[in-house]
Amino acid sequence: MTATVTPPPTIPPVQKRAQGGLRGFWNAQPVVRLRREGAMPPLAAFLVFFVVYVIINPELLTRFQLQTASNLVVPLAFAALAQLLIVLVGGIDISIGAIMSLSNVVFATAMVSLPVPLAILAGLATGLVCGLFNGFLVAFGKLPAIAVTLASAFIIGSISREVMDRPGGGITEQFYLATSGELFPYMPVSLFWLILAAVGLWLLLQRTALGRHIYGVGSNVESVRAAGLNARGAQLAAFALSGVVAALGAIMLAGSTLTGDPRSGDPYLLNSIAAVALAGASFAGGKGSILGTILAACTLGLVGNLLFFAGINSYWQYVIAALIVISVVGIPVISRQISTAVRGIKA
Amino acid sequence: MASRTPPPQDIETATVASVEPAATAAAASAAPGAVLVEVRDLIKHYGAVHAVDDVTFDVRAGEVHALVGENGAGKSTVAKMLAGAVSSTSGSITVDGSPLAGGSVRDARKAGVTCAFQELALVPDWTVAENLRLPDGAPLKGFSQKKATAAARELLAGLELAHIDPAAPVSTLSLADRQQVEIARAIAAKPKVLILDEASSALAPPGVQWLFRRIRELTATGSSVIYVSHRLGELAEIADRGTVLRDGRVAGSFVRGSWTDDQLISMMAGREATRHFPSAPPLSSTAPHPALDVENLVSSGVDGVTFRVEAGEILGVGGLQGHGQAELLRALFGAAPARADRWSIAGKHIRRLSPVSAVRHGAGYVPEDRKREGLALGLGVGENLVTPWLRTFGLGGRPLLASQGGWIKNVLASLSVRTRGPLEHAGALSGGNQQKLVFGRWTDRDRKLVLLHDPTRGIDVRAKQELYDAIIELSRQGVGVVWFSTEVEELVHVCHRVLVLYRGGIADELQGDRLTADAVVGAAVGAKTR
Repeated sequence: MTATVTPPPTIPPVQKRAQGGLRGFWNAQPVVRLRREGAMPPLAAFLVFFVVYVIINPELLTRFQLQTASNLVVPLAFAALAQLLIVLVGGIDISIGAIMSLSNVVFATAMVSLPVPLAILAGLATGLVCGLFNGFLVAFGKLPAIAVTLASAFIIGSISREVMDRPGGGITEQFYLATSGELFPYMPVSLFWLILAAVGLWLLLQRTALGRHIYGVGSNVESVRAAGLNARGAQLAAFALSGVVAALGAIMLAGSTLTGDPRSGDPYLLNSIAAVALAGASFAGGKGSILGTILAACTLGLVGNLLFFAGINSYWQYVIAALIVISVVGIPVISRQISTAVRGIKA
Repeated sequence: MASRTPPPQDIETATVASVEPAATAAAASAAPGAVLVEVRDLIKHYGAVHAVDDVTFDVRAGEVHALVGENGAGKSTVAKMLAGAVSSTSGSITVDGSPLAGGSVRDARKAGVTCAFQELALVPDWTVAENLRLPDGAPLKGFSQKKATAAARELLAGLELAHIDPAAPVSTLSLADRQQVEIARAIAAKPKVLILDEASSALAPPGVQWLFRRIRELTATGSSVIYVSHRLGELAEIADRGTVLRDGRVAGSFVRGSWTDDQLISMMAGREATRHFPSAPPLSSTAPHPALDVENLVSSGVDGVTFRVEAGEILGVGGLQGHGQAELLRALFGAAPARADRWSIAGKHIRRLSPVSAVRHGAGYVPEDRKREGLALGLGVGENLVTPWLRTFGLGGRPLLASQGGWIKNVLASLSVRTRGPLEHAGALSGGNQQKLVFGRWTDRDRKLVLLHDPTRGIDVRAKQELYDAIIELSRQGVGVVWFSTEVEELVHVCHRVLVLYRGGIADELQGDRLTADAVVGAAVGAKTR
């Protein structure tokens, strides 16, 4: 990488640098980081899934189907990213679905009377407040994340039914077009917003000190604290950010369905956890990639569609999703075990 | 160590104040007499436990000040209060004239106090570069991997650590490398006061020399080093002055050249004690089979090793960290896949080994990291002792402890484990006592072969003596012992025979007259290959 530094003479060259071709690409620093964060298996799974999908249903690559598929997948991708942030600091968020529901109904209600930017702000602020509530209890109250978010899931769920007890709200056609229409042919707007958010999040996690602190806190809180860093602040930031990302997903969802619904977030809870698991993130914290999470969400989000086009009863959707998660998470582990065993015998 | 016998002078056992005018520390030339750190009446209570009870001492600019004492004497707590990791109950710390508020590592860093902690404080999933660079930046600033890696590479090269890859995650480094990175991080902040809390515990002799070079560079600029260690040999070489702690209080102080090992040990222990290495009992091979016999053992990191351990023999394994010792022990216990042309434990032929079958064949293993691999810190002392002897469908909980009560009591008593009883959490014990638990599992259990991975690392002198005695006792009972140690003196004095590994192979086998510290170190650096 850096040609100016000469390696020390006494030590045999351990790192293989400056190789060309496939191997050089495989050992390039960003790819190494992706591999370390577990993004390779979900990437491979998505590619395989995508090819299978296109073979079974070539119509996916038409403008209309691309748009509907993207509208279906994008809210789940946002939910999965929100879940990833919590998993990175070593927690798990049971309240993701409830946060999405509440942001969704607050946004839809605000659209009735307020201008659109203010309504969006109201929706995002809702997510932020929910995230801060969870974050304070976890980071400063030192309570376990699963207990805090389970409790807040009930509270937030009730509040969202209080705000709006049946689907409704004032979402306009223009807003549908702005979130779920087409930016230009073959480019759904929803995908554009997702990419924008993902790049922003990636910059934050990988290119700021705060982002690295979030990873560090999940890896080992005590070490981060011993290094003189604000571990609790990083935890709180992750929760707050997660709330905002979940709210973004809720607004995208409201746009694509043209309604606010107090139950709209419910299905996203387990799916977001499944996507993070599929993404190869470590539930102990400190490891997980944005790219992997988005691709995992796309894969899981499209399983139902695939079965519909393949003419299989949609009840099988969950079984297939489960098989994908288990095999993608399991294959690297098993292959590693086999390869070490083989290496041991060969040696 | 035997070669170094300073003239026996009186050690100052009175208060520190009486020593000050007499100090003739050689390195204090930078700013002679200037007091850099002033610790006054420092007290730390954890509930009813008085971890530190009224400690007062000074550190001068440009000196290396040793802080010695047994585990539990309070040195680590004092070090942590200085570093800001723990806030004091009362008392004051002044650095360069301004008081240190305490309770914040960040504030301490800003005041020029950095610490390399005993419990490694590196984030395992961060790269070396991130661990080195992140603590100094503000959280909301940008962070460039490329720049951080380049800066870290430069920093490591400047500190003679060019063999460490700055882009590698810390979790992939060996313990010794991690410790060096931790020290490098503390030095990189250009501290006025550097605290090294057992910083040499995982370092082999060349690593310790590396550390000493860094210390001398730092003190030459007028900074001070507070050096916490159990290794008396190192203190003799590096410490200008020192303070001895016992039971949270200052038991005395010393200056360079005015002390002997035995005097220091009695001061630490509060009783007449001498550091002696018990010698191994004579071998009487009445057993029909050797405890261990391997020919051409290969595993990852171990490259065709052939040796034999007689029943009752203590076989030392020496060498620099990362030359295959850890891998050899893991392979011998079945914890890593391995294969050999011939392999038997106590006469029983082995084709493949897993830890479970290793225990069944009569082997025991004390792993490298007692906190991670050795113990379940959240479980009780008793439960941790019986771990290898649990049956899937056996008793558990209190009935188990009751049925094993006699054995547990014997083990705790024979190793003098200082604990409130079998129900106390293993995590509440000091390092030395935790190590005794990991070791104690295998005593009195009809073992044929016990594999020890540096069991005396980072534990106090008294615990070390007790472990030596326990190892000797195993040998008397006819158990073969394979003992890897980073402390060469241990190998030379206590073992019957020592294998020195170099790059995964046996570089030399030392025995009898050839078994000297110089020979072990010489073989370890590859000076001699068979």
